Amino acid sequence: MADGRLPILRPEGNVPESPRLHPGAGEEAAVPVLLTRREDATSWFERKVSGALGWARANSIFQYPFVTACCGMEYMSVMCGRYDLARFGAEFPRFTPRQADLLMIVGTINVKQSPVLLRVYEQMCEPKWVMAFGVCASSGGFYDNYATVQGADRVIPVDVYVPGCPPRPEQVLDGLKILQEKIQTQRHALHSVERSPEMREDKKRSFLGKLLAK
Amino acid sequence: MAQALVDLLRDTFKEAVLSSHSHRGDEVVVVRRESVQEICRFLKDGEARMQLLRYIACVDLLTYDTEMTGGGALASNEVPAYDLAKKAPREPRFQLGYNVYSVVRKQSVRLRVELRSDDVKVPTVTSVWRTADWWERYLFDMFGIDFIGHPNLKRILMYPEFQGHPLRKDYPTRKRQPLVAELEFPDLIRGPGPGPGGAGVPMSQTHVGRKNVDPTTYD
Repeated sequence: MADGRLPILRPEGNVPESPRLHPGAGEEAAVPVLLTRREDATSWFERKVSGALGWARANSIFQYPFVTACCGMEYMSVMCGRYDLARFGAEFPRFTPRQADLLMIVGTINVKQSPVLLRVYEQMCEPKWVMAFGVCASSGGFYDNYATVQGADRVIPVDVYVPGCPPRPEQVLDGLKILQEKIQTQRHALHSVERSPEMREDKKRSFLGKLLAK
Repeated sequence: MAQALVDLLRDTFKEAVLSSHSHRGDEVVVVRRESVQEICRFLKDGEARMQLLRYIACVDLLTYDTEMTGGGALASNEVPAYDLAKKAPREPRFQLGYNVYSVVRKQSVRLRVELRSDDVKVPTVTSVWRTADWWERYLFDMFGIDFIGHPNLKRILMYPEFQGHPLRKDYPTRKRQPLVAELEFPDLIRGPGPGPGGAGVPMSQTHVGRKNVDPTTYD
């Protein structure tokens, strides 16, 4: 305070994801910025809420099984008593995409089915995740032919790939745990989800920030 | 086993039966395509009592003489497209096989019809066996065989937007016709295929379907 400048306030622990803190790479990022107490409080709150939301979402995954091929037998095995996906919170298969969090693409996706898969994915509510179950859903597998989509990621974005033809149930459990880790560590923004360009324009403000601004 | 049946066919249809042979116990009768309906009706309603049409199959003999004798591997990445000029054309190119079976007599016989590549038309046998409906639609879908008189000759497996007939030997092995615009995703293993736009064209620009395809419009 001796030279008349304001003190630089830095948050302890995690750095909040504010665009003011990360204006760019290189030297600009090293420039200390002023963080107001309101931003500090908001980011702290967001971190806490985000962690809680991640914990809640990662441990209550309702999956929609999009079963098209023989991997469905392994899916049944995973869901049944010996391997028991319910131990990890993925308890209920929901047979409507509107109630599901996780779209499990179990089996080959052929070209004629791809509009159906796309529509099922679009019917799911945010937040949503996708698991490609088996090599056919991951890369087309050995169906390198005219009828098969060479991986479901050519139609919809995929979060976790579980290889195998069919995958062992342990691999599916491993894939689920990887997905849980991803859900837990990802930032669950309090602001509105980017769905359309007009929402992305000026409504990308934090919910708490709007409250505090009033 | 069914030699008596072949002799009966030869006697009844002197003009229509071109030849006959036995391949590993299966009797094969090569017939003229104009009289396929007549012979099938005779086989079903006559004393042969061939009431079951097991299947109708088709063979494309375009590469039959060349591919097995050093004609080059078609599916490899080194041969991107099928080079027709290097192959000796074989005519008649297509062979249709009607495998019929008599539950009562426990005999089967295979009718064979040969089709030239410039005239892939054959009369339908839907009026004889109802199950021939889907088999002929299948052969129309995969090989482009035109069954004259079929009540509903349209694709049965592939989607209506599909162009070409995928089981023909001159259909490019790596050709893709996506129904929805595919996401930009590099194929690291296989590289870009000879799609409709040729190699190097993004898959998202090669789709043949409409935008916002309604799945309920497909039967």
